[in-house]
Amino acid sequence: MSEPKLNRRDFLKLSAVGVAVISGLKVIKYATASETEAGPHQWVMVIDQGKCTGCGYCTLACRAHNDVPPHISWNEVTLAGQVGEKPVYIARPCMQCAKAPCVDVCPVQASTYRPDGIVMMDYERCIGCRYCEVACPYSARSFNWETFEGPNPAVPEWGEPEVPRRPRGVVEKCCFCYNRIDRGLSLGLIPGVDPEATPACINICPTGARVFGDFNDPESNVSKLLHERASFRLREELATFPRVYYLPSIPEA
Amino acid sequence: MKAARKFPRNTLWLAWIGVLCILIAAGVVAALLVFSKGLVLTNLSDRVPWGLWITIDLSSIAVSAGAFSLCAAVYLLGLKRFQPVARTATFIGLIGYTMALLSLMLDIGRPDRFWHAVVFWNKHSLLWEVTMCVTLYLAVLAIECMPIFARFEWLSRRFPKLTSKMLGLHRFAPILAVIGLGLSMLHQSSLGAIYGVLKARPYWFRPDISVLFIISAVAAGMSLTVFASMISSRLTKKVKVDDDLLDRLAFFIGWILIAYLYFRFWDALAMTYTYEPGRTEGLSLLTQGTLSFNFWIGEILLGLVVPILLLLNKKTRAMPFWRMLALALVVGGMVAYRWDTNLSGLLIVLSYLPGNLAVAYTSYHPSLIENVSGMGILAYGLLAFSLGVRYLRVVNHQEITHHAQEKLVAEPAAAD
Amino acid sequence: MTKFGKFAFSLAIALLAAGITLAIVQAKPETGAPVEQTLNCGNCHAETQEAWHGGAHGLANRDSLFTDAWAEQGQPGACLVCHVTGYDPSTGTWKQDGVSCEACHGQANVNHPAEPMPVQEPAELCGQCHSDARFGWQEWQSSTHYQRNMTCTICHDPHTASLKAVEGQGEEGHSALCINCHRQYSMNFSYSVHKQAGVNCIDCHLRHYGEQADRDVHTMPDHSFTANLDSCNTCHASEMHTSSDEASASLLPIDLSQPETTESGQVSDQPSPLSPYGYAGLAGLLGLAGGMILSPWLDKAYRRVTKDGRKQ
Repeated sequence: MSEPKLNRRDFLKLSAVGVAVISGLKVIKYATASETEAGPHQWVMVIDQGKCTGCGYCTLACRAHNDVPPHISWNEVTLAGQVGEKPVYIARPCMQCAKAPCVDVCPVQASTYRPDGIVMMDYERCIGCRYCEVACPYSARSFNWETFEGPNPAVPEWGEPEVPRRPRGVVEKCCFCYNRIDRGLSLGLIPGVDPEATPACINICPTGARVFGDFNDPESNVSKLLHERASFRLREELATFPRVYYLPSIPEA
Repeated sequence: MKAARKFPRNTLWLAWIGVLCILIAAGVVAALLVFSKGLVLTNLSDRVPWGLWITIDLSSIAVSAGAFSLCAAVYLLGLKRFQPVARTATFIGLIGYTMALLSLMLDIGRPDRFWHAVVFWNKHSLLWEVTMCVTLYLAVLAIECMPIFARFEWLSRRFPKLTSKMLGLHRFAPILAVIGLGLSMLHQSSLGAIYGVLKARPYWFRPDISVLFIISAVAAGMSLTVFASMISSRLTKKVKVDDDLLDRLAFFIGWILIAYLYFRFWDALAMTYTYEPGRTEGLSLLTQGTLSFNFWIGEILLGLVVPILLLLNKKTRAMPFWRMLALALVVGGMVAYRWDTNLSGLLIVLSYLPGNLAVAYTSYHPSLIENVSGMGILAYGLLAFSLGVRYLRVVNHQEITHHAQEKLVAEPAAAD
Repeated sequence: MTKFGKFAFSLAIALLAAGITLAIVQAKPETGAPVEQTLNCGNCHAETQEAWHGGAHGLANRDSLFTDAWAEQGQPGACLVCHVTGYDPSTGTWKQDGVSCEACHGQANVNHPAEPMPVQEPAELCGQCHSDARFGWQEWQSSTHYQRNMTCTICHDPHTASLKAVEGQGEEGHSALCINCHRQYSMNFSYSVHKQAGVNCIDCHLRHYGEQADRDVHTMPDHSFTANLDSCNTCHASEMHTSSDEASASLLPIDLSQPETTESGQVSDQPSPLSPYGYAGLAGLLGLAGGMILSPWLDKAYRRVTKDGRKQ
C-alpha cells in the first residue's frame, strides 16, 4: 500500500466500471432473450361460452385424469355474468401464454416452453418459492400446501390418473394433457379429433363447448372456428399472448 | 445496573441469553412442525403466498446493507476512520444474511431443493439473480468476517496458525469490498425489482421500487449498525465507541432519509393520477385502508419524519437517547416498508374476467407458527450479535486502528 | 480367504441368484389364462374395476334379483345376450360374467397400454342392450339431448351403472344432476311452490309410466324429458276443471339473497378494516410520554391546590 490515494482511486474506477459492466450485461441478457424454437404444431383451445352451461364436468375430468387434490382446480369454472336471460360461465385452464410471466420469473427454470406452445412444469425441479403463482395474471397456478394423501374422490367416476401425483411443496397447473397429446401423436392420432389424443376436459364436455386443435393447421377445427367467429382472450392488454380463445355468448334473437 | 449488585455480575447477561435460547428453541420446534406437516400450518394461501417470512427475509437483507456501504466507504472512498464501524457492520451483515437464509428455508415449499437455484439457472429471473448474489455475497461476508472470528481468544490460543491466516485475510478487504459493492447493488435493488416486473400486479409494476429498496436498505443497514454499536456500549463498560464517528454517520443517515423521502413522495403521488384498476386500490390500501397505520405512522411519521428531525438537528443528534430512538425508528420504518410493499400487491385481487374492472380484497394475518418461527429467527440474530459483542469484540472502536492492523498482517508474512 | 469370508461370498451369490429368479418369475404374466382371455384390466384400473364390481353392470348375472327370476323362467338364453359378455348361444357358454370391460371397450390390444383402449360412447353402444322395446328407447331418441349428440355417459357412470354425482347445490337427489347443467332454471325454481311442496325435476321430466308395484324391472323413466299434461295430472288431476282462483300457484315472496359463487370464501368487496390496535398503542405511547413530561407540573399544581386547600 505504497501510494494509498492512487490505489483507492483505481479501486473506485474499477468498481464503477465493474458495476457498469455487470448492469450492462444484465440489460443485454434481458433484451436478447433466447426463445424456444416454435414447433410444427401450435396447440390452441377454444371455449364457446354460448354452449358452456357451467356444469363443471371439465374440472372434474381434469381432476381425475391428473390426480389433482380436491381443493385445487386446474380448470376453474366461474359465473361471468349474464347475456339476456342466460347466465354465462367462464372456464379457465392455464392459458399456456406465448410470453408467460411464470416462465420468466422461475428461479430454477422449472417452467419452460415446449416447441408446441405448452408451458411445461418440471415438478422435480420446482423449489416451491411461489414466485410463478404471484406472477400469473390468471391465478392459474396452485401450490400444494399439504400432502395429498388417500384416494382422489373424482376417481374413477370422472376418469383415472394418467400422470403421477405431485408431492407437497410444489406449484402445479394445467399442462393441456401433454401426455395424451404426445402419446396420440406417436400413434398417428390427431389431437382435437381423436379423443385418446385430446385433453380430458375437451372430451368430457357434454355440450361440445370446448374445442382443441392445431392453430398451424388451417383445416383444423380450431382454425376454422377462429376464422368464422369473433373470439377474445383474457387480459389481452397484458400481452401474454394466451392460447385459450373464448367465443362470446350470443344473445338469442 | 444497581439491581445487579445483589446477584452475580453476569445475571443480566445470562438472563438475556436464556430468554433468547428459549425463543430459539420455540422457533426450532415451530420450524420442525412446518417441515413435517407442510406450509398448510401457515395462514398463507394461493392469494397471499408471501407473508411474514418473506418480510423477514427482505428486512434481514436490508439491515445487512450497512456492510457493503460502510466497507465501500472505508476501502473505496478511503474514509479509514470508519473502519471500526465497518467491522461491526460486516458482522451484522453476516448475521443478517444467515437470518435471511433461515427464513427462506422455512418459506420455500421444498427446502431439500434449496440448492437448485445454484445449479439450475434462469438468467431471466430476478429471484434467481438474487439467490446467486446472496449466495456469493454470503461467501464474501464470511471471508470478510474471518479476521473478526480470528479475534476469538479461545481460537487464537488453540489454533494460532489458523488464526493468523484468518487475520491475514484482511489484506483482501479492498477487493472484497469491490465485489461486495457490486453484488449488493445488484441484489438489493433486484429485491425490489422482483415486485416491480410483475405486470399482473398493477400496484407493483413500476421501476422505482428497486431504487426505493436500495436506498432504504442503505439507510436501514447503517442505522442498525450505529444503533447496535451505541446500545452495546451502553449495556457494558467493556465496549468503547467513538461517539464522533457515530455522530457523523447519523448525520449522513439523516440525509439519506431525505433522499428516500423524496423518492417515496413522488412514487406515491404519481400513482394518484388517473384510475387504474389494482394500482389505485393498492395505493388506497396504503393511505386509507388496512395498511394505513403501517404506512402513515410506521413508515412516514415514525420511520422518516421523526428520524429526519432528530438526526439532522445537531442538539438532538448529540443526545444518545434521541439518536438511538431515531435510528431504531428508521429500522422499524424500513421493515414496515417491506411489509407494506409485499402485502399491498397481494391483498388486491384482480378479476381476469373480460371487461370486469371489479377489484376484490383478501386478508392475511400471520399464524402462530409463523410468528413463533419468525421470533426464533430474530432471537438467533440477537444471540449471534450478543455473542459477537462479548467474545469477538465486534463493537470496539479503540482497540484496533488502521496502522495496527497493517502490523498484524505484516507479521505472519514475515514469519513465513 | 477365511472361512467366514467364503461363507459371506457364497451368501452374496445365493442372494443374487434368488433375486434374479424372483425377478424373472414375477415378470411372467399370470399363468392359467386361456388364449382367448384378455389382460386383467383391474391390474392397472383397480378403482374402476372395484366400482364396476359393486354396480349393476358388474352384478348383472350375479344379483339375486336376476338369478332368481332367471332360474324361475328356466334359465332362458335370451337373457344372457345382455346379462353376460360374449354369450355363444350354440354352446351356452360365455366369456365373462356381467357386462364386462370388453362388452363396451372391445378386446384389448396386445400393445395396451401403449395403445389406448377405445372409449367410444355413442348412445347406440348402450343401446345394444338398453334398446329393448320395454326400455322406451324411442322416447330417448326424440329427446333434445339425443338430437344434440349427447350420450348416456353424460348423466350415467357406465362403470358403476348409476347416475353421476355432482356436488349438490341445495337440491336433493337426482335432480342435482339436472340443475348442474340447466342452472338458469335453478334460480327461480328453488323458490317456487312446486319446490316447496317437495317436487323435483325428475318428478315431472323423468317420470316412470305406471305404478311402482306393477313396474317391469326392464323399464326406464321417460327419457324424452318432456313434461306434458300427464305430469301435471300426477298431482292436479282433481283440479283440472276448477276455476283459476282456487288453483293458483304463485311464486312465494322470497328474498333472493346473495347468489352462490364458486370463489373460495376469503375474498370480499371491501378491504379488511384497519385494526384499531395500532392507533391505540400509539395513543398509549403518547400518553406515556406526555404523562412523563407533564407529571412534575401536575404534581406541583396538585400540591399547590391541596396546600391552598389546607391553608384555608
